[in-house]
Amino acid sequence: MTTSVELVVIGAGPGGYACAFRAADLGMKVAIVEPRAQLGGVCLNEGCIPSKALLHSAEIIKEAHHMRDWGLDFGQPKIDLDKLRGKKDEIVASLTQGLAGLAKRRKVEIVSGYAKFTGSNELSINGESLSFEKAVIAAGSEPISLPGWPEDERIWNSTGALELRSIPDQLVIVGGGIIGLEMATVYSALGSEVTIVEMSAQIAGTADPECAAILHQTLASEGITLHTNTGVTAVTATAEGIELSCEGAFTGTLLADNVIQAVGRRANGNKLDANLAGVEVMDNGIIVVDEQCRTNQPHVFAIGDVTGNPMLAHRATHQGHVAAEVAAGHEAALDTDLIPSVAYTQPELAWVGLTVAEAKAKQVPHKTTSFPWAASGRNLASGGGAGLTKLIYCPETHRVLGASIVGKGAGELLAELVLAIEMSATLEDIALTVHAHPTLSETIAFSAERALGTLTDL
Amino acid sequence: MSTIIASPSVRAAARRQGVDINELAQRLNRQQITLDDLNAKAGQSPAAGAQDMNQYWDVDHTQYGALSQTETSKFDRIAAANLSAANALIPQVTHHDEADLSAVEKLRAKLKAEALSKGVKLTTLAFFVKALAVTLKQFPKFNASLSADGKSLFLKEYVHIGIAVDTDYGLMVPVLRDVDTKGVLQIAAEITDLATRAKNRKVGPDEMGGASMTISNLGGIGGTAFTPIVNPPEVAILGITRTRVTPVWDGAEFTPTPMAPLDMSYDHRVINGADAAKFMATLCKTLADPRFLLV
Repeated sequence: MTTSVELVVIGAGPGGYACAFRAADLGMKVAIVEPRAQLGGVCLNEGCIPSKALLHSAEIIKEAHHMRDWGLDFGQPKIDLDKLRGKKDEIVASLTQGLAGLAKRRKVEIVSGYAKFTGSNELSINGESLSFEKAVIAAGSEPISLPGWPEDERIWNSTGALELRSIPDQLVIVGGGIIGLEMATVYSALGSEVTIVEMSAQIAGTADPECAAILHQTLASEGITLHTNTGVTAVTATAEGIELSCEGAFTGTLLADNVIQAVGRRANGNKLDANLAGVEVMDNGIIVVDEQCRTNQPHVFAIGDVTGNPMLAHRATHQGHVAAEVAAGHEAALDTDLIPSVAYTQPELAWVGLTVAEAKAKQVPHKTTSFPWAASGRNLASGGGAGLTKLIYCPETHRVLGASIVGKGAGELLAELVLAIEMSATLEDIALTVHAHPTLSETIAFSAERALGTLTDL
Repeated sequence: MSTIIASPSVRAAARRQGVDINELAQRLNRQQITLDDLNAKAGQSPAAGAQDMNQYWDVDHTQYGALSQTETSKFDRIAAANLSAANALIPQVTHHDEADLSAVEKLRAKLKAEALSKGVKLTTLAFFVKALAVTLKQFPKFNASLSADGKSLFLKEYVHIGIAVDTDYGLMVPVLRDVDTKGVLQIAAEITDLATRAKNRKVGPDEMGGASMTISNLGGIGGTAFTPIVNPPEVAILGITRTRVTPVWDGAEFTPTPMAPLDMSYDHRVINGADAAKFMATLCKTLADPRFLLV
């Protein structure tokens, strides 16, 4: 093992490896410290990618089912759980191996183990010392475990849920955020009776209420039970299953074969003895950074989930590049507030920028315009269900300030609007841009046209 | 979100160059910043340079003593913007000459009573306007405008003369049309009419603009010379200050002669110095012998 590097990156998630690779490309001598045997972090190993593989399966099951109405009956799917799990693991393995190759090509050394700071320029990994000039903490986050719950292997977190150990008959998911909703989509399609219990009034937390309501209705119509405004007061493990006592809009007891806890993630900032390098870590494990991803120590950076919300891979990646460039002496910064959020549910829910609630709170002048997907030819012709494209804009300048889309493929459609907002596009810019017909992307242009009074499709 | 419009690549370039986008936008008095603006920072355009200077008069004057503050009028602001642009963008030269007004004044004295009987106040300015029109006919380059891209010159077949009028609302420039086809009496009548209506803010937008050249006449007030600023898209402006009776040597003796100081600023991109000198010599000759007004 190398004993000294210019830059050490702690954690090989999407932020960590992007940072290490960028720094190596800029000519630095770089090492990554990672406890997992594979690169890619939570995202690749037990998050974004495996969940997408399972969601793809869920989508095929659902779509095949819905094609009965079109006169195409594929019958009941036969689910070979071992093979499905194997396929998912194969996809993950191919990506992680790809990453290992990219690291090797860049001569980035992978050090296996947990890193702990022992001084301002020194780490200890499995008792061995590594000195560094600069460090990037990319230690990520872990699922929050609710206090007072019994220890029971029938209770999963998101990592456990993605292991696809079994398909429970009765599955309760505590937490109606993005992760909970995606797991509900997967297991519901695989045949579980799914119940979501959510404390707040709305699923998908900060999403646009109108779009979240459409997702809520669609999930309910697909047989998922959703209890919002409901809290779990007690959990007991019995021979029959896990019993959850609920109070609120739904008061009563739920009995589940398995329960998934999906109530958020906690930053891993407290696991590194970062104080020994003089780095301040908040009690909740978050390390506060500036827009150049610097901690209170000028030679120590932090990126990704460990820097707080939104805990999203694409934010981490961009921060990773910024930290690498700043560490290499370049002028760079994460100079944007636009971090898109996507729930890869069926239908997908995606949003970016200002929401109506934020606009009201900040007293930003705003108006909204939208286009219902029931009027989209492509949506109807593709068997898409309910959907809505909604834009928030400045009434004076017509600049787009925020966007929410619910519907099939919303996550892909959102990219146009992220770029539009970054480029300060106005409704006119979007309306005058020719969108191919028939596509779902037209709903974006139609929303703009609707606000401008030039729409002829509604 | 910032109200400044700049794409991610522009924001990144600004950061690399150490440019504060918000500050730059404020200085350029603009909402949108492009890569061109950042690149222009190195070799600033004259207009941008002028705007940049604004920061030097962003001063808290109260630290030096008591004062009051009034808003500038819309008129003043439009004039200020136009003058700033003209001064920044046009390479201007001012040529000075003087005209012997003995003959004009004699003629004016003779016609004065008759003009008054027709209700017309015959001013010396009317002769200047007519003489300028006659001179412009002989120098087509002075009765011209440069295209916006600077690649062509528009030569005007009409002669319209703008008259700068000082009003309570600010500077206005009503324009006398087709002066080359009009007599001095009619010109005098039209000047009086336009000037009166300008002071009462009764001049329509169609009565301004489109001049061949503008006259700024300070003769009634005083001065020996000044440097007027060309009023684009015109390529020259004529300034007049107070006529003084001065001893002029005619080869045998000094004769008391009313001499009018004339200052012409011109766009050096269109007009060169020799042309300007010839133009002014012709104008002075025309004024010195009003018979030329008939030719």
